[in-house]
Amino acid sequence: MQRATSYAVVTVLVLTALAAAESTRQEMHFKVGRRASVSIVNQYGGISVKPGPGKVVAITAVLYSSKVEVDQSKSRRRVTVFSHLLEGADTETGRVDYEVLVPADASVTLHSTTGPLRVEKLHGDIMVEGSTASVDVRDVSAGHIHIKTLNGPVTVTNVSDGLVEITSVGGDVALNAVNGSLVHVNSSSGKIHYDGDFGDGGDYSLTTHSGDIEAIAPAYASIEVVARSVQGMVEKDFPLQPEHTSFVPRAGSAFAGTMGEAASSVKLLSFSGKIHLKKR
Amino acid sequence: MTCEEFKRVLPELGSGHGIEQEEHLRSCCACSDLVADLNAISKEARFLKGSEDPSPWVWNSIEVALRQEGLIRQPQLQHLQTPAPMLGWRLRWLVPLAATLLIVFGALIYQRGTGQPQTAQQPSPPAGVVTANLQPTDVMGGEDLQLLKTVSERSPSMRATYEADLRSVNAYIRDAEQSAHSDPNDEVAQQYLRNAYEQKAMVYEMALDRSLP
Amino acid sequence: MTDAKKQQGARLSEAEAIERAKQGDAEAFEALYNLHKRRVYSLCLRMTANTAAAEDLTQEAFLQLFRKIGTFRGESAFSTWLHRMAVNVVLMQLRKKGLPVVPLEENIETEEEAPRKEPGADDPRLAGSIDRMQLQRSIASLPPGYRMIFLLHDVEGYEHNEIAEMVGCSIGNSKSQLHKARMKLREILKTSRAEKATKP
Repeated sequence: MQRATSYAVVTVLVLTALAAAESTRQEMHFKVGRRASVSIVNQYGGISVKPGPGKVVAITAVLYSSKVEVDQSKSRRRVTVFSHLLEGADTETGRVDYEVLVPADASVTLHSTTGPLRVEKLHGDIMVEGSTASVDVRDVSAGHIHIKTLNGPVTVTNVSDGLVEITSVGGDVALNAVNGSLVHVNSSSGKIHYDGDFGDGGDYSLTTHSGDIEAIAPAYASIEVVARSVQGMVEKDFPLQPEHTSFVPRAGSAFAGTMGEAASSVKLLSFSGKIHLKKR
Repeated sequence: MTCEEFKRVLPELGSGHGIEQEEHLRSCCACSDLVADLNAISKEARFLKGSEDPSPWVWNSIEVALRQEGLIRQPQLQHLQTPAPMLGWRLRWLVPLAATLLIVFGALIYQRGTGQPQTAQQPSPPAGVVTANLQPTDVMGGEDLQLLKTVSERSPSMRATYEADLRSVNAYIRDAEQSAHSDPNDEVAQQYLRNAYEQKAMVYEMALDRSLP
Repeated sequence: MTDAKKQQGARLSEAEAIERAKQGDAEAFEALYNLHKRRVYSLCLRMTANTAAAEDLTQEAFLQLFRKIGTFRGESAFSTWLHRMAVNVVLMQLRKKGLPVVPLEENIETEEEAPRKEPGADDPRLAGSIDRMQLQRSIASLPPGYRMIFLLHDVEGYEHNEIAEMVGCSIGNSKSQLHKARMKLREILKTSRAEKATKP
């Protein structure tokens, strides 16, 4: 009886160990200098990047099977971490989730097919590329944000004093409190939603092929705006002073004019989507 | 020689000092320390030469531009006959090739549009009205089909996504071209065209991204 | 690029790569790029202190070089030729931003250059104690004009007559700016060292 109990305990322990071995955790630490560059390439799985203390890049990787390895390389200022898929790996077994802490002034480059991808509270350059990954960038200042996605939804929140360039084929793009010297969104069928001040005397361009564009601005916005849809309808909640009527090729298809001091330039262009400039 | 006089000539001295300056340095600790410090800074600075690497994107962009401008002259299509294990590496040329074809094709369309004389005998359609698109929206060229084949081999689960995106982007290009064609002077139409090509180039780039396995 | 291709590129001498690049050989272009990318990028990065801007400028410098490679006859070293293009590209960028590159007058004195108190007798020399990271940070904080001259002379090793030609100033101005850059760096490094010494 005692022997049977011992065998049972050992079996349970072995099975537990085997189960735990299916997902493993790796930690990596790299000392870096000022304005470090961190690059993570991870086909399947999420990447989350936040600022951490000191001049250290700290990475925690959770690997979901033995069919994927994490490779790393480091030069003086550049850290690269790469999920290396082994034979037979798929979206489940090839999955790795990364939690990354970087110096706040680091430049970050993330690649993933599935994601999700999240970056917050940095002021270096951010380049994110995801196929179907959702992308969430928030609380970033003074950097160049460049996002490319096929169909993943993109959300950018609370960005100031930077450059923002987003290219999306089918993913919806939402910009909340995003201001900078250049904010360009190029979407094919994805919708674009902007809710902000169009501030900083910037150049704002939101363009789609068939996606709708909804821009929400305050009454005190200082913009020169051009909006046009070749086949869709265009509306605005603001009176524009002056309003350029000669620009309008067909009624309800375009408007152009200025508000306030016209500090920022705003273009809202869609081929067949609807455009609505709303008052907050 | 006074310290003031020495400091006035110091920028001109370079690595060598005259007798007068040498004598002053022997007798003046402050100026001697100053010269030692400036030399130390200069010496240490030499170690900073060429110590950073740009990201791989820089070469990618240069290569695309060189191909677009015809500065790289190499046959491309024969690489597509190579056996499967080489295909992934060889097909990276599809990215710059596709970008080149797209830009050249777009330029040709634009030039044909501007070349047309605006005469009374050839009434152009009212601006903003696009003529009916007689082609089916899901037409894909040979490069697109080759790209989908590569995606199928590398990431079969992504094939449907790329196919849908290529159709969407091709429709965008077609509409943008028609718009630019109907009014070649329309800057907005030109922007649609640029955006459409940018989308297509991005789809190709992501499909053939060398950084992903 | 496969390992085999990388090795092949390394075996290409610079002269061979230049000749093949003139014929439109893609691998030759890449070999030339790999040979010189670090130096060009480092200069651009130190001048702009921004990785994205530095990469754009690096790309532009190499594109200009490759477009003109057919005209290279070997009168100067290829790296010098390339470097001159990189400097031009950076200078154009700074001019676009409206930043002064080199002051017009050699003897302009600004607030920064006002006579400073001489270090005291108990202030030890910097020699042997310069922290390279601190030096990099200090260079980044120099005004663009000083920084350019300092990088070209002390980091990249150009002579004043070459710098004067690249930047479009007189040889005397180049020497004066270099001296001011070094003086400013000395001041920053000493201040930094003094601050570290007083920290608990």
